[in-house]
Amino acid sequence: MSPVSTLKTFEDIDCTFPKTLQEALELMADEKTRGVPLAGGTDLMVQWESGALPMPERVINVKSIPELREISEADNEVVIGGSVTHMELRQSSAVRRAVPSLAEAAATIGGFQIQIMGTLAGSVANASPAGDLAPSLLITDGTVTLAGVRGEREVKLTEFWKGYREIDRQPDELIVRFRLPRLPEGHYESWRKLGARKAQAISKVMGSSRGRMKDGVVSCFKVALGSIAPTAVRLYDVEQWIVGQPIHDETLKEAEQRVADAVKPIGDIRSTAEYRKWVSGRLVRLFLEELAARSG
Amino acid sequence: MSTKAKASKRIPRVGQGVARLDADEKVRGLAEYADDLQVPDAWYGYIVRSPVSHGRLRALTLDPDYDWSRIVVVTPDDIPGENIVDMMGRDMPFIAHDEIQYRGEPIALVAAPTRKQAREAAAHVRADIEELPPLLTLGEMIDRYKRDPSELHELCAQTIRKGDAERALEEAELVVEGEYRAGHQEQLYIEPQGMVAVPEKDGSVFIHGSMQCPYFINPELCVTLDLPPEKIRVKQSAVGGAFGGKEEFPTLLAGYCALLALKAKRPVKIIYDRHQDILYSTKRHPVWSRYRTGLDKDGTIRALCVEYVLDGGAYTTLSPVVMYRGILHAAMGYRCDHVWVDGYVFRTNTFPSGAFRGFGAPQAVWGLESHVDDLAKACGMTPHEFRLRNALREGDVTPTGGVLRHSVGSPAVLTQTVERSGFVEKLSRCSHGRVSDGKWYGIGMSFFAHGAGFTGDGEARFKAKVALDLEPGEDGWPVVLVRASSTEMGQGTFTILPQVAADGLCIDLNRVRNPYPDTKYVPNSGPTVASRTAMVVGSTVYGAAQKMKKQLEEYVTREFTGGQAVQLVDGQFLTADEKVAMTFEEAATHHFQHRGPLRVYDQFRLPDYLQWDQKNFVGDAYPSYSWGCNVAEVEVDPRTLEVNVLKVTGVYDIGKVLNPVLAKGQLEGGLVQALGYAVMEKIEIKDGLFDASRMQTYVIPTTLDIPEFDLDFVEFPYEFAVPGAKGVGEIPMNGLGPAIANAVEQATGVRMRELPITPETLFAAMTRGASGPLLRTGTA
Repeated sequence: MSPVSTLKTFEDIDCTFPKTLQEALELMADEKTRGVPLAGGTDLMVQWESGALPMPERVINVKSIPELREISEADNEVVIGGSVTHMELRQSSAVRRAVPSLAEAAATIGGFQIQIMGTLAGSVANASPAGDLAPSLLITDGTVTLAGVRGEREVKLTEFWKGYREIDRQPDELIVRFRLPRLPEGHYESWRKLGARKAQAISKVMGSSRGRMKDGVVSCFKVALGSIAPTAVRLYDVEQWIVGQPIHDETLKEAEQRVADAVKPIGDIRSTAEYRKWVSGRLVRLFLEELAARSG
Repeated sequence: MSTKAKASKRIPRVGQGVARLDADEKVRGLAEYADDLQVPDAWYGYIVRSPVSHGRLRALTLDPDYDWSRIVVVTPDDIPGENIVDMMGRDMPFIAHDEIQYRGEPIALVAAPTRKQAREAAAHVRADIEELPPLLTLGEMIDRYKRDPSELHELCAQTIRKGDAERALEEAELVVEGEYRAGHQEQLYIEPQGMVAVPEKDGSVFIHGSMQCPYFINPELCVTLDLPPEKIRVKQSAVGGAFGGKEEFPTLLAGYCALLALKAKRPVKIIYDRHQDILYSTKRHPVWSRYRTGLDKDGTIRALCVEYVLDGGAYTTLSPVVMYRGILHAAMGYRCDHVWVDGYVFRTNTFPSGAFRGFGAPQAVWGLESHVDDLAKACGMTPHEFRLRNALREGDVTPTGGVLRHSVGSPAVLTQTVERSGFVEKLSRCSHGRVSDGKWYGIGMSFFAHGAGFTGDGEARFKAKVALDLEPGEDGWPVVLVRASSTEMGQGTFTILPQVAADGLCIDLNRVRNPYPDTKYVPNSGPTVASRTAMVVGSTVYGAAQKMKKQLEEYVTREFTGGQAVQLVDGQFLTADEKVAMTFEEAATHHFQHRGPLRVYDQFRLPDYLQWDQKNFVGDAYPSYSWGCNVAEVEVDPRTLEVNVLKVTGVYDIGKVLNPVLAKGQLEGGLVQALGYAVMEKIEIKDGLFDASRMQTYVIPTTLDIPEFDLDFVEFPYEFAVPGAKGVGEIPMNGLGPAIANAVEQATGVRMRELPITPETLFAAMTRGASGPLLRTGTA
């Protein structure tokens, strides 16, 4: 009688390191070689160790695949490979120009070790409501490109997160890149994260906005918050309402109230539902104040 | 060999900020922590735990489909001695056999060749448990306490009675009441708990691992293993932080390892990972306190009535002494003729609460110093005026009737902190939650003492013993070895004790070593707790060093100078006319060759005037006190209610400062731990277990959260324990919580009565609208 092995550890995982995207996609195409895509592992390894996710049989490490590690700028967008790390996001001048709030958000994730290991695709695929990069991606109205051996597929980021820890990805697909429309002339972005301490905190509430003021009124405003719903969310109703309004005490109050009314957060180990609801409104108010101040 | 000594002026070793003597092995990674110990053929131990919080264990069975041939299982039947942990109360079994009192309580132990196999085997032990209703939280406990305390299981209780506080309360012009709470706090030392037990051929057991108190483990294992003391040897490995978390808990781990090792007939090692360590090790006792204070309008305190209630968790363990220290600090620091304090510890069905830096005092000072700000307000006085008016001074009487005869750093710490921090001017700038464009600013203070050494007559009864060995070192040159059971856990014991020894002997510090304590070689200087090491063990080492100095001087006089007296000064024996007779090294080497190594002992003594009545809590509660005052400045962001602690000013009297660099390190580190307790560290009970059971969820301050520190010492040496240190380890933990709460009130207008103070609790307090600005959505 041999021991019934009930326990798996990291040593039991079969880990493959494909050198090219094509090689990775072929491994993913066949059920016999397919594995969990690993792009840094800063979220997955914690969940495997804690038992929140079952220890996988196989892992395909996609972090070092050259095609997934590029950042390039086009006329009106920045294209970021899935395996670009948080550290690269915060340090890239292209990202800072095109989506400044994304670079700022990346700089607040974990400590340096996590920022060097963790990646954009990894964070997006982990699909935690507290994923700090999601709001900045959402406000760009950009897309994510997935690839399989059959070809590529482009999905709007605003439609990519389907629910709590759920994304629109087929089992054989890999996230390869993000196409994010750049911040237009005269527009400004804001980012704010509330955590239990000044660094290495998991967000209680965080958010980003992108907007513009013209002729004394808001001409464009996009805002997304995280950690207040099963996924990060755009606040379309509030966005629509504020467009065409001037920013003064009364409209700020109204915006704050509308946000607080719109969100339905839960309470958990990091914060309470009541505080999250209230502070969501405060954050959006803060973003609008910053927009007004910057727009002079 | 008689040359004239160059400068025979004595170089002091004490009071110098010398570099840590253990720095080298630690920065080079040479220090061996428990998990670094190479133990050939060691198996790994794992603990089978109760899945329920309260119940009756009906049966324990081993899964018949599992291969147990390479697994050792220990149940209560395998315990050679008593199945009782020999701590206070003697109510905790080593392995539960009948009633289960908390989720995670050990119900069996297993060992296997690998960690993985041990964990796996533990999952194949099946327990049949009849569940009983549990009591899980401080909140439920206090609800019952207020309704009817007889609904609770009392682990221990004690009162202090000075004067007639109830009557004085009735006669007072003003009465102020307040309730205060704080939850568990986790020590979160860097190195998790770890221990190894090695069964020796002669039937003895060798325990080696991470611990604060080697001599706690010996007597306990005698009871559990039914072995005589000489059959149990305990040695400390390098320790990566402890903070009280390795005071009593390692005794349990040593027992688990030893029981498994004796049955497996091979070494057994248990190393907790962080998750296990947080779930299944001791925390700071949660507290609820209620103050009722009688005042005259001029600010005189007439009566202090305090209820101080701790959540002890499932068993008594050290709770009585934690509560004693708590009640002795709950009304300490101010003149008052009528003081009644009632202390209780009740059971909840959670992991037993235990030792943590401050040991009941931070919980007490949290309530008292928050309350004192309310008292000042009630009399229309500022926080510093009120404290200065009432603070105890030399010659005053404590709540237990002890007289503060010597070494009283009050009110010096108070006046100096007020001045240094610019408190008076800054107090006038506080925001009080009034609407402004920027952030809300507040400043607050706290004033506190900390009893040095064991509570009551503990030190007088215990009589700490140390030895010094003079023997040839590894380089052939003579070395003096400090032989004490006092441990280094990061705080600096292995530096300050050699400093004191070098000072007492008047030799160079590089001739002194402090090896890791091993009960085979060291006398019992007591546990490394209670801020006692610098005062109690330090002064005893000094006494031993002076004895050794005298013996060597006599030796040289006898053997070399023909009866002409010599004095050992800075490593040289000098005659009366300042001629160098010989060096310390020469004399010691001669001694080795002709007489062998030299060992001297000394024992701690206290002045006879100290009196303590343990039953009635009357007399000198501590031989002496350290004193401190904190001023905290905070900024609260009205947009988010985030509390940012900007600056902490503190002046402390810890007696003679033995090493100012290490002492300041203790202050800063302790204040950061107190900052976490005040505004961050939150851990609650969910389904019977600690909810924030990983570093991901248990949030402690990072370097970015650390405020500006302005810290200083004012020295009132304790003359009965030369060189005069009192204690620095715990006092930094005592006062920062209330100083921050008082500052938050000045900033926001809201009095916070529970720690930690977070944006969530501030929001809840403000929207309840009981006090301060009503903060609704849409206002700023």
